[in-house]
Amino acid sequence: MLPSVMENTTDDYKIQSFDLDTQMLLKTALKDPSSVNLEKVSDIIMDQSLKDQVFSKEAGRICYTIVQAEAKQNNGNVFRRNLLNRLQQEFKNREETRRRSLQEWVCYVTFICNIFDYLKVNNMPMVALVHPVYDCLIRLAQPDALMNEEEVDCLVVQLHRIGEQLETMNSPRMDELFFLLRDGFLLQEGLTSMARLLLLEILEFRAGGWVLSSTAHKYYYSEIAD
Amino acid sequence: MSDWTRAKRTDPHSSKPENRKRGIDGSLRERETCCRGRENGGHTDGSYRYTEKRHANFTTPESTGPVSRCSRAADWGSQVDDEDEMRRDVHRDMQRYRRRILGAEVTQRERKTSSGSSESCDSREGENMETDEAVLLRRQKQINYGKNTLAYDRYTKEVPKHMRQPGVHPKTPNKFRKYSRRSWDQQIKLWKVKLHAWDPPTEDGQDKVLNIGELGLDDVIDIELDFPTLPDSDQKTTASLPAHSLSLEGEDCSGTPVKVQKTESRVEPDMA
Repeated sequence: MLPSVMENTTDDYKIQSFDLDTQMLLKTALKDPSSVNLEKVSDIIMDQSLKDQVFSKEAGRICYTIVQAEAKQNNGNVFRRNLLNRLQQEFKNREETRRRSLQEWVCYVTFICNIFDYLKVNNMPMVALVHPVYDCLIRLAQPDALMNEEEVDCLVVQLHRIGEQLETMNSPRMDELFFLLRDGFLLQEGLTSMARLLLLEILEFRAGGWVLSSTAHKYYYSEIAD
Repeated sequence: MSDWTRAKRTDPHSSKPENRKRGIDGSLRERETCCRGRENGGHTDGSYRYTEKRHANFTTPESTGPVSRCSRAADWGSQVDDEDEMRRDVHRDMQRYRRRILGAEVTQRERKTSSGSSESCDSREGENMETDEAVLLRRQKQINYGKNTLAYDRYTKEVPKHMRQPGVHPKTPNKFRKYSRRSWDQQIKLWKVKLHAWDPPTEDGQDKVLNIGELGLDDVIDIELDFPTLPDSDQKTTASLPAHSLSLEGEDCSGTPVKVQKTESRVEPDMA
């Protein structure tokens, strides 16, 4: 591979934070999955996603590419299966993770939502992840979580990215989530003004059909342009 | 989850759930062949397969002995694999169905022009079929639950397709037809009720009588709303209590509501 192509890969998949050997391993996995230990690769990706927020935001892409590559090369699914099972393990322990490290918990939610977004099966999101993703987002909408800006931020970012798809897969649970958000916005004492702003924006976003009207956009984002 | 798709892995070409039957009490029957991935499947359609390295049986805390791993897959890896496979199957079914309908339509048109017969309601079925993948998957799952029973197994062995009489013999609802949700769910319910007639006899020899009340068949009146083409009927709105003993099978099915019989006598491709 040309050096320039290698560099693009590093950047595309945000794997700069890995040591060079691991970067090499990941790049090989993308090109020639059957030549590497895919269980190990999925573990590496999982572990890094829990530590590195930048990586977890886009880790779904590299996962998707490896899944496709493996399927194409030998009809295999070792990578996907192992990744999902690790994801499930971490899901089971999520409450403990949250207690131990808010950062890790937020990374996990970001990662599972990213996987939901990218790892589609026949262009449809994986049904198996729908409830777990909702469980995570609803957890973020609980009173204790709303008190932490990182959790609120994570929640609204994920809803922007996958809210519409999630609602298509299961609308009642989205309603359930938004009841909590409304309650939180209206009743929760001690919310920071940033948290309230984020909540109001997401409420308007969904009410507008997962699109922000131009006037609302001006209200929330005009200062960023300056 | 879709247990039947696990059975399919041992024979990618089969369309019948060969394994994992349930007895009357819902308990799993011993599987003759478990999920042995065939190394040389011999299939050329590129369908998805694993190379299995997993144990076929293991003992779980709940079970008293080795349990086939093909009990409901709790792990996400397997769930997604099953989803994948089911989607592929639904797509394949859809293609087959389309071809079948197109073929039937051409024949009908030819017949019409020659005999001047009145228009059949099926003539435009190909254009009006259900194609929403989520709906088809949900319906397929419901069908699978019904087919994954000892009763269905015994029924299909006992009554070959060409011997089946509409109204008398259960017919698998056609997932490609447009129906309202309620209509569909009722059809499935009634289909499964009918299948119970082929339940194997219980060990203690007691006749198992279905409690129709539990099934909420007082709602059966709603069928009228969903099948508007059917005439009103003074018939009792209770479904027949399927006699447990097989000797009564062919004899008295008059308890089955006329409404349901009418539906099933419509000419439709046999998807059972």
